[in-house]
Amino acid sequence: MSEATVSRAFVDRDRERAADSFGMWIFLATEAMLFGAILVGYLIIRLKYHAAFAGGSHALSLPIGTVNTTILLTSSFAMAVAVETAKSGGGRIVRRALAATAALGLAFIALKGFEYWKDVEEGLLPLLGPFHYGGPDPHHAALFFNIYLMMTGIHATHLIVGIGLVAYLAAPSRLPEGRQAQRIESVGLYWHFVDIVWVILFPLLYLVQP
Amino acid sequence: MILRLARAYLLLLALLALTVASSFVPLGFGNTAINLAIAAAKAAIILVVFMKLSTNGPLVRLAMAATAFWLIILFGLSWIDLRGV
Repeated sequence: MSEATVSRAFVDRDRERAADSFGMWIFLATEAMLFGAILVGYLIIRLKYHAAFAGGSHALSLPIGTVNTTILLTSSFAMAVAVETAKSGGGRIVRRALAATAALGLAFIALKGFEYWKDVEEGLLPLLGPFHYGGPDPHHAALFFNIYLMMTGIHATHLIVGIGLVAYLAAPSRLPEGRQAQRIESVGLYWHFVDIVWVILFPLLYLVQP
Repeated sequence: MILRLARAYLLLLALLALTVASSFVPLGFGNTAINLAIAAAKAAIILVVFMKLSTNGPLVRLAMAATAFWLIILFGLSWIDLRGV
């Protein structure tokens, strides 16, 4: 008798596992469309108002952006370690790696929150506070700051969902090891995807040259 | 296996250092090209090493190919439209 399936829709665990992973990849494909569409909008406006975008990008905090990228890359490494060790059934290491992943995610959100607060104080976010920007072409630079807030905001929302999922998995579970490993793997795929989105956003927002 | 993950992680950090360092050298469009190439390399490392894209069966690969195809249409057709602006 093979391992029982979670859903009665599947005749055996192998099929269920294949469907699990395929479902997650299809979901990530729809997410890629969401971020792709926003990115197209960003690129079109940047091509038209490059000087304003370069000025706006320069006003953002490169040190905070760089530290946050490092934090997220480290969290992805911790997540990958969790997925790998979960397969060989290393209970305590898995939970620690997941806790580290969630903690790094929280650190990213905290730093991002501080950065938003600093941006508002400096008058850079017209959607959240008064806009006092002394750089070139402030009218279109405002567009840059709005797109910056929207892109990083949608990314942060995804990350918060990820932190919740990872924290849930880090708690002791009564599930059989195989099923728990499958869940960790699926959430891992989502976590890495959110990391990839940031890897693309970082140079587009923080490193625009005149 | 963990060693392979650690190597990929160190490579990602090195690429991050490279992309930030390159932004201090004014190269005009070259900066954008370097930044996008490095971002693509980092995304590829995460996809292949952390997400193990290559170990998946044909179904998942097909889904990824379809994603790439639709993104190419999205970016390609938008770009064609933009040339007239």
